[in-house]
Amino acid sequence: MFDAHTRILNARLSRRRAAALGAGAAGLGIAGNPLGFHLHAQERSTINLASNASDPAPRERLAGQIENFNASQDQYTVEINTTAHEDFKQAIRTYLASDSPPDVLTWFAGNRMRFFSNNNLLMPLDDLYTENGWDTTLPEGIRAVSNGDDGSYYFVPTSYYAWAVWYRPSVFEEIGVEPPTTWDEFLAVVDAASDAGKVPITIGTQMPWTAAAWFDYFNMRVNGPEFHISLMDGKEAYNSEDVKNAFGPWRELLDRNAFIPQPEAYAWQDALTPLVQGDAAMYLMGRFLYDSFPDDSQDDLDFFQFPIIDEGVPVGEDAPTDGYFASVNAPNPEGAKALLSYLGSAESQTWNVEQAGDPAVHPDVSLDLYNDATRRSVEMLQEADYIAQFYDRDTHPDLAERGMSAFIEFWNTPDDLDAILDRLDEDRKRVYESDS
Amino acid sequence: MGATTTAYESRRQVDGVDRYRKKRNWRPLRIALFYAIVIPFLLIWLVPIFMTLVTAVRSLDDITMNGPFSWPSEIHLDNFAEAWDTGGLRQYMINSFIVTIPALAICLSLSSLAGFALARFRFRGNLVIYFTFVGGSLLPFQILMLPVYRLANTLNLYDTYWALIIFHGAFQIGFCTFVLRNFIKTIPGEIFDAARIDGASEFRIYRQHVLPLILPALAALSTLQFTWIFNDYLWALILVQRDSLKPVTTGLASLRGEFIQAYNIQFAGTLIAVIPTVILFVFLQRYFIQGLTMGSGK
Amino acid sequence: MADLSLAPAAQSVSAARKQGRRWHKATPILFLLPPLLLYAMWVIGPMFYSVWMSFTNADGISRQDFVGLANYRRLFNDDIFWTSFFNNIRWLVAFITIPIVTGLGLALLLNNDLPGTRFFKAGFFSPMVVSSVVIGIVWSWMYQPYGLINEVLAWLGRDGMPIGFLADPDIVTWAIIAAGLWRQVGYVMLLYLAGLNNVDQTLVEASRVDGASTFRSFRDIVLPQLQPITVIIVVISIIDALRSFDLVNIMTRGGPYNQSNVLAQFMYIEAFNNYNMGYGAAIATILALISMVFIFTYLRRMVKTEIDY
Repeated sequence: MFDAHTRILNARLSRRRAAALGAGAAGLGIAGNPLGFHLHAQERSTINLASNASDPAPRERLAGQIENFNASQDQYTVEINTTAHEDFKQAIRTYLASDSPPDVLTWFAGNRMRFFSNNNLLMPLDDLYTENGWDTTLPEGIRAVSNGDDGSYYFVPTSYYAWAVWYRPSVFEEIGVEPPTTWDEFLAVVDAASDAGKVPITIGTQMPWTAAAWFDYFNMRVNGPEFHISLMDGKEAYNSEDVKNAFGPWRELLDRNAFIPQPEAYAWQDALTPLVQGDAAMYLMGRFLYDSFPDDSQDDLDFFQFPIIDEGVPVGEDAPTDGYFASVNAPNPEGAKALLSYLGSAESQTWNVEQAGDPAVHPDVSLDLYNDATRRSVEMLQEADYIAQFYDRDTHPDLAERGMSAFIEFWNTPDDLDAILDRLDEDRKRVYESDS
Repeated sequence: MGATTTAYESRRQVDGVDRYRKKRNWRPLRIALFYAIVIPFLLIWLVPIFMTLVTAVRSLDDITMNGPFSWPSEIHLDNFAEAWDTGGLRQYMINSFIVTIPALAICLSLSSLAGFALARFRFRGNLVIYFTFVGGSLLPFQILMLPVYRLANTLNLYDTYWALIIFHGAFQIGFCTFVLRNFIKTIPGEIFDAARIDGASEFRIYRQHVLPLILPALAALSTLQFTWIFNDYLWALILVQRDSLKPVTTGLASLRGEFIQAYNIQFAGTLIAVIPTVILFVFLQRYFIQGLTMGSGK
Repeated sequence: MADLSLAPAAQSVSAARKQGRRWHKATPILFLLPPLLLYAMWVIGPMFYSVWMSFTNADGISRQDFVGLANYRRLFNDDIFWTSFFNNIRWLVAFITIPIVTGLGLALLLNNDLPGTRFFKAGFFSPMVVSSVVIGIVWSWMYQPYGLINEVLAWLGRDGMPIGFLADPDIVTWAIIAAGLWRQVGYVMLLYLAGLNNVDQTLVEASRVDGASTFRSFRDIVLPQLQPITVIIVVISIIDALRSFDLVNIMTRGGPYNQSNVLAQFMYIEAFNNYNMGYGAAIATILALISMVFIFTYLRRMVKTEIDY
């Protein structure tokens, strides 16, 4: 994989560099150089890019994209500053509110972005959207999560990834089951796995977002994505009958001991080991699970869509969308826009995908570039009726924290569900009433 | 004194056997017992450290496939090199030094002034000021985070070395004043009286007499402060944005991904980052012991 | 007004002597001014600013309206606050008792010149120099259901389900405290070694010869001489117990569902993740108050018994 990376990178660099040098030389020639043969390189202004891409592979990909960008023009050079992904979620506020904010930052689409745009910390990008034609080419669902409450565009989406239930075909063969599509089939797989002495579903809830995924899917499968988004926006009550119904299938799984015991003890990555070792059958996880899987076992890894519980309900999928935005007080606004244009282009996204990055948002990126599993996951998303951003990106962070705690509490003491949901709803009322 | 000596000597001759020799005969058994207790206990105590070392030389796939408790399938010493280069450890270590040394200088010089004043002079408000310093050192950093961040921004120090240097220098004054004040209080008053009679100004007394006497305490504080400031994580997160300025722990933390923690590289980097602190401790060990004791008894 | 320059002591001494002092009135001020100013600007000032913020509904970016005691009222009704509060008490109690006893014990044990002792001392101290991130991760691994500790327990004959150290809400806080103590003991040991080094050996021997048992001479001669270092240790222990934030953050992030949460972690998430800066400031204020109460009761006792030279 990395050989291909280097070859592509070198190919692009040499083409571009030649072009740039040529242009630069020509420019200097025209301007004249009366002082002699010592050529001064044109001063590049710096663009400060604050990145949360702290995982090894995405970090390298971003570095590669930036190298391409630097080589493709000679006005700007980008300085990447990386912060640990989790820390970035807290540090980003200090970055944006400081008197020397970064120019461009990585972030998530949807409500998490809107908090900043509503507080006038982001640069409006309507002109950029028009210039690049994104207001017509990007799918509507994607554009809907890239604008602020005032209707202006603030966010440049670049990639997204699907969530699904991952399994190992060899393990399924051993148990003697096929990938399920309906809820009953799914329960049958769970039972078969238990009978075969396997852990049906592995999960690590040390960081509770993994549990939030289950909530998202149960809620969307039982109540439909429209209700789900309404709940995320604080417009529905957590202790309503509808929400309680969503916990029904979850309870079924808990009663069957479908999950690995004591999941809070594992980080999500630690819980991957049973799947790798063949002791666990399934894992509800994002596509990045594929990247963490040991290279030589990756062909024995596949996924299926989260089972349909109610045939009549529209299909919603979680597909967190990542991208970039710019500070309203960016020290280098022209540079910021240039970088954003580049990152939002089909060209840079194609390059990213060629390096095994997450699926690109731009529709002009060919589906043939993806490996089989990824392509099918993108098709799954394209067929979905609705794309959600994931629990902790769709709802206010304060409520997300409380909600995720509630899910873990339910996991531990499912009989307390009513009391748990009552308390959670108190929080919902507090958070959404005070929100401006 | 004489009575004790006699009793002492008479004890020695009990039963006609020299008591000390009796004690000496026990020693080999006691020594053996000592090692038999300490060594196993220490080995068990250090299990987490061993795990750190072992993890630092494994590959990430190895850890994922075989879990954290297995022996490495192969040894990857290049993890250390990777932490140093790609991990950026080299720059982070340099940054840690750039921040720690000046902060130490600021803190120790100002604390010794304050400690001296509080220890030597009786004046109204002495205890209040003393408690202010002590109390401030107990403040949880969270209560300071946002205001200090804002202050740094107002002074245009945000995202500079100076923000960290000045803040750490200022904050540690609390604890250092606490220790130094108590230490200086144990210096016998005669030294000061003698110096004053010689006509020395207070500042000269401070410089010529107090400073040399508190060197052990300064050394001890240096090692403690060095550990704290060098390895600081959260303040660097709040006050600094660019990678080129981040100190060691904050820098290494950026190896924690959203999805993947490169445990092996992180641990390797941490082990390297430990080296300066260890060297300092070994170097100043002699002073450390003396410096933290209250008595100037020699 | 007295002359404020640092004139030769003889001159001002005679002037001061008329007022009954032997040093210039302004001297302490001059010594204290630089440190006090810096400290006031970066520590005391910000603290008051935070306290003020706790009476507002600040979100750290735009909003900051005065709301009186609303944040505090909300705190007292917040389950998470009380869970965190009592966890902090647990941390404090554990940190003030266990490391002192164990650290002193280790110091006494290792207070000799036998070959290798220096190495042993360094060994026990080594956890202190390793970053808490690494400690948190490694201990999390050890606590896993099929991790080291459960495996050892099973090997020793224990049957039944593995203990969910970090998963069981009743023991998770103690599990994290154990990791914190493991790190702290070596540190306290080192401090006590320093203290023991200063104990007057002749007094000890004299008491032994006078017929006192080892234990009596320890209690009556050695312990009192260790009191000054114990003061430092208690203060440090309180500071470190309340700084427990990093281990909690790494190992459980306060979970499962906030059962291992501590005020420091709670405040951090509220202020920096949930945009509730005013609320976070209220939590931080309470956290500061708790530490103050502990310390000042202790320090006041110490100051009263202080020997002035």
